Amino acid sequence: MHTLKRTKLAIFLGLLPSLIIYIGIAIVPIGLSLYYSLFNWDGITDKMYVGFGNFSKIFEDDIFWLSVKNNVIIMLTGLIGQIPLGLAIALLLNRSFRGAGFFRTVGFIPVVISSVMVSLIWGMIYNTEYGFLNGFLGLIGLESWQRNWLGDPSWSMFSLSVAYIWQNFGLYMIIFLAALQSIPGEVNEAAELDGATGLRRVFSITIPMIRSTILVAVIYSISNSFRVFDLVQILTGGGPAHQTEVMTVYMYNAAFMSRQFGYGSAVSILILLFSLIVVSLVNKIGREKDV
Amino acid sequence: MEKKSPLVTIVTYLFLSAVAVFNIVPLFYMVVGSFKTEQEHAASPFAMPQALQWENYSRAWEVAKMGTYFMNSLIVTFGSLIVTVLLGALAAFFLSRFKFKLRGFTYALFLLGMLVPIHATLIPIFMIMKNLSLLDTYASLILPYTAFHLSLTIFILEGFMRGLPKDLEESAVMDGAGIYRIFWSIILPITRPAMATVLILNFIYNWNEYLFALVLISKEAIKTLPLGIASFVGIETASLTLQMSALTIALIPIVIFYLLLQKQLVTGMTAGAVKG
Repeated sequence: MHTLKRTKLAIFLGLLPSLIIYIGIAIVPIGLSLYYSLFNWDGITDKMYVGFGNFSKIFEDDIFWLSVKNNVIIMLTGLIGQIPLGLAIALLLNRSFRGAGFFRTVGFIPVVISSVMVSLIWGMIYNTEYGFLNGFLGLIGLESWQRNWLGDPSWSMFSLSVAYIWQNFGLYMIIFLAALQSIPGEVNEAAELDGATGLRRVFSITIPMIRSTILVAVIYSISNSFRVFDLVQILTGGGPAHQTEVMTVYMYNAAFMSRQFGYGSAVSILILLFSLIVVSLVNKIGREKDV
Repeated sequence: MEKKSPLVTIVTYLFLSAVAVFNIVPLFYMVVGSFKTEQEHAASPFAMPQALQWENYSRAWEVAKMGTYFMNSLIVTFGSLIVTVLLGALAAFFLSRFKFKLRGFTYALFLLGMLVPIHATLIPIFMIMKNLSLLDTYASLILPYTAFHLSLTIFILEGFMRGLPKDLEESAVMDGAGIYRIFWSIILPITRPAMATVLILNFIYNWNEYLFALVLISKEAIKTLPLGIASFVGIETASLTLQMSALTIALIPIVIFYLLLQKQLVTGMTAGAVKG
């Protein structure tokens, strides 16, 4: 097309700025994290090499395992709450009927709101004295159901999970809707001719047809659940007494509150590892089923 | 062709309405509350405001320094947006329209970014910014935002550009146009639909970003909106209605943005998730 040399130069120059920024800020730091994780470091004085010492300290910390457990709970919330809900609504919305557009619009709104606002809004809902939830329960005579939604250790994760579902199910709704609408019409018609109606058709035909999308959604939901930070940090701060703490909050506290950058880096590497492991497992299982 | 029994229709509407209510009520509660005086709200949290207290809004704007936060968010969001989309489009152009040895590798490298949780880079980036004396500057946010959004941006743009007809550039080449001319005057204009998607996505992610802002910015004058709002609500515990007004103000741009650009936004957010 063009003279080879000039083309090669042009390509190189064209890709260079993106590569510099991307590699410098997204890739290299991962390596740096790995490096920092081997030291005790407060960011100012000299680093002190501890090898895997940080990692063993982390594994001995009950709070860390609590945070892992909470991440698992969030992951399950996403898988059991967001995805089925999104799928169900998408299936219902997959016909054009009056109001379908409205429901779709409303369903997606929480997704565009920043998680900071989501947590602040839900903070107002869960507020024990002035909050919407307790107020409403009182209004309809259900005072006995009023709780300290965020401060009670037995309810805090539940409250967090509800807000998490609220924020995200709309995304899956839209993803599944798009997938459903790309199913060719003949498939549905053929199924009808074969006598497969309603629910049976949904389960034996429709859902299998979008299985690759479901798999992608599952993987995305899982890796997203390991990244939760804003919601937890602002809604509960990880409290009460670490009951809602997740790994990212644990890392943030270690690194930026306690100024233990080596320890914090080690945690962040573990977050990366956990997330990659779970995702590849799920990916493998999903692909195997295809065969 | 398929007749639904009225029962199914009713149940469907009930379920969907319940979901809609679930989604709207928290927002509605907040907006309604923002128009009440503090006493009104304390006395009857569920009643409609007797009169619309617009002063809540002007007070919230001032007390919460929202002008500053808005301005900062605008600068950071658009700054990063422009850099990301321009560089991303350029990269996508070369990755999609040219053949060269490391093409596949480079493409995969960029895609890898979508899997990386930013938390694994948080501490090093903080250190880098600190050492470059970039903490508490717009650049400290613009650079990471760009770096982490290049992956999705390139992914979407590359996919689109790859589908453009092969001979698009040929007449221009015959006229002797340089590569960059071709990029700017031919490919870019045609890529407009995908560019819209990418611009919207970047806008939303940048506008809502919290974690990097939290770690890299501590100076009040530079704080972006999510950060500013979070600290305001943390401090301002006295007046609930004031908090609500501040939140509503922060909410308005994004909701309007969403309602106006819904179609492209939805297409963009599901890009790549749906395999044909």
